[in-house]
Amino acid sequence: MTGSPAEKKRMIEVRDLYKIYRVGDNKVYALNGVSFDIYKGEFVAVVGTSGSGKSTLLNLMAGLEPPTKGSILVAGKRIDQMSEEKLVAFRRNNVGFIFQSYNLLNTMNGLENVAMPLMFRGVPKARREQAAMKYMKLMNVQDQAKHMPNQMSGGQQQRIGIARAMVVEPKIIFADEPTGNLDSHTTMDVLRLMQKLVHEQKQTIVMVTHDNQLASYADKQIRIVDGKIVSIEYSDRGREIEGDALEEETRISMGDRTEKTEDGGTADETKD
Amino acid sequence: MKFSDLLHLSISNLKRRKLRTFLTVLGVLIGTASIVVMVSLGIGQSELQMELISSSQSLTTISIYSNSMYGISSDGSQSSEEKQLTDETITEFTRLPHVTGASPMLRYGVIAKQGAYENTYMTLVGVSREYLENIPLAEGSLPEPGDTRLQLIYGNEIIRDFNNAKTGAGYWTTGEEPDVDLVNRPVFIIFDRDKYYQSQSSGQQDSSGDGSGDVTPVTPPKKYIIPTAGIVDGSSGSYQYSYSVYCDVEALKTQLKTIFRKNPIPGQPTNKKGKPYSYFIYDQAEVYVDDMDHVKEVQDLITGMGYQANSNIEWVESSQKQMQTQQAVLGGIGAVSLFVAAIGIANTMMMSIYERTKEIGVMKVLGCDMGNIRDMFLLESGFIGLLGGVAGILLSYGISKVINVLYVKQQMEQAMMAGYSFTGGDISRIPLWLTGLAMVFAVLVGMLAGFFPAKRAMKLSPLAAIRNE
Repeated sequence: MTGSPAEKKRMIEVRDLYKIYRVGDNKVYALNGVSFDIYKGEFVAVVGTSGSGKSTLLNLMAGLEPPTKGSILVAGKRIDQMSEEKLVAFRRNNVGFIFQSYNLLNTMNGLENVAMPLMFRGVPKARREQAAMKYMKLMNVQDQAKHMPNQMSGGQQQRIGIARAMVVEPKIIFADEPTGNLDSHTTMDVLRLMQKLVHEQKQTIVMVTHDNQLASYADKQIRIVDGKIVSIEYSDRGREIEGDALEEETRISMGDRTEKTEDGGTADETKD
Repeated sequence: MKFSDLLHLSISNLKRRKLRTFLTVLGVLIGTASIVVMVSLGIGQSELQMELISSSQSLTTISIYSNSMYGISSDGSQSSEEKQLTDETITEFTRLPHVTGASPMLRYGVIAKQGAYENTYMTLVGVSREYLENIPLAEGSLPEPGDTRLQLIYGNEIIRDFNNAKTGAGYWTTGEEPDVDLVNRPVFIIFDRDKYYQSQSSGQQDSSGDGSGDVTPVTPPKKYIIPTAGIVDGSSGSYQYSYSVYCDVEALKTQLKTIFRKNPIPGQPTNKKGKPYSYFIYDQAEVYVDDMDHVKEVQDLITGMGYQANSNIEWVESSQKQMQTQQAVLGGIGAVSLFVAAIGIANTMMMSIYERTKEIGVMKVLGCDMGNIRDMFLLESGFIGLLGGVAGILLSYGISKVINVLYVKQQMEQAMMAGYSFTGGDISRIPLWLTGLAMVFAVLVGMLAGFFPAKRAMKLSPLAAIRNE
């Protein structure tokens, strides 16, 4: 499944990236010359302490703010020079995003939230809700379709959030501390889902976290300290989540998952 | 993004804050209603005035006078080529574009007598059949079309001009209506006024014994009994036809010719040798135009032909201009409150954007087009305008109705006190174009007020979505 990186398609190419903030007369180097590659189908964790520049890196890769210097290629496109208008369109067509605080719209129910990015693309209601339902099933939250976000638990909301990132069939998914607001049990749940997306759906995910332990579940860990990469580590296929740690409920959901995977597989074919 | 989705988003956002939406809409409602009611009052007033003008005087009538009245042209010199109003020129007028008809007006002063009463200044006005048909009659009817006999239609106020021939007392001195019945008792008409006065004065001269001797007594002129065809209906409050006596111009001409034969007819101009013309010359004519908009054009044509032409159009135009100013002032007063409402909309939208900063950020991160975000807010503010506009117009109709009921009631009471019948209409009128315009205006004001907040929302940073509170 995961061959050596060299054979794979480069998804993100970051070269010599600087981001300098001016605070009064001082220059703060949030990113101080960063270069790395991310390949298709990788689950990458960007790890660092608070203030290390990891979030800035994510924002730059997602085109949420412009770099001071350097180049960023995402899916073969230079995004560091794009206008805001173009960046929005780029995200709409290529990028999924998972937030720490879920950021579901409170005026919409679960299904509408998942379908929202497709709405931005102008997909008709019936078609986008059908697609949304598919990914909600994959995330095992189909029962939350008619619920409003404030009626859901944190874990359910984040699953909805992941489904929302998936629904556009993006080339890459960015996740900003996706488990930051979740308890440890739900955290494992969400991590497992993300691993599944990478390994079974061939999705590329870039996750930002401050937690070394969480990062160890990724295929590749980019460690950042003070705006510089200190190490890039590969683990052949991330760390498997041990069965013992799981409780009964999780096992049931794992069972569900296998079923859903079959669904996902057939859906994949129709997709392509 | 589809427009229907955009609309759905906007409406659900408005529904989320019902009270705030309601209050903002209320502002627009009051603004719209005040403009519409104010303008409707202006329109009502100017239309009422127009109705008053057109009821007393036709707005499509042009009065034409010969420039050479009394045989002297306007520059004071006697001109041989003076423009005279004759039957020929009347026909000429009818051939002008937009002219539907023309009537000569042949005025002839006579003395009318009945019993002890006489009217020494009664003016017969000979007009065309068409003109006669426009006169409202209270009694009697127009002479049959083929009837060439002279028949008179008396103005309803003409009785008051009869005085007692001996005492000289009349309505204007005693306040009593003279005992004259124009319909049931015969009226004697003396056409040759000069001869009548000569005969009276010659009798007196004889008695004083002037001594010259060559004064032959003048025989009094013949009195004619002219049948009465009808009495003008003056109940409409218009006095246009009330003080004249009308008759068919051809019948009058025939009558005058039989009376005076070859002698000059009084009032008719003579040529240089003092001989009368073989045809009648009118001192006035009227021309009827098909539409008010063409009156000015026709009037200019006639002036160009060398006549003096008057119509109400100049006066109407100037009074309309005055009314427009008044309407603008009224509308301006209403506009102030709509302006305040617009500020309210802008305020609401700004607050809404601050509240939704994060939401907008999320939408931008997820790839919602910036234009779509702007449109969403524009739609919201436009929708507030639309709701306020519709409700405001409904309210205006209500207010307008109440004003009209009160106004008509008050006018009726006034009319009753003054003793004439009330003929006016509504003071507040909301034409369809005003409704449409107010609606469009309300939506526009809403969108305009929402424009800058919407632009601001569009430019919000997507990073707002990343920040965790």
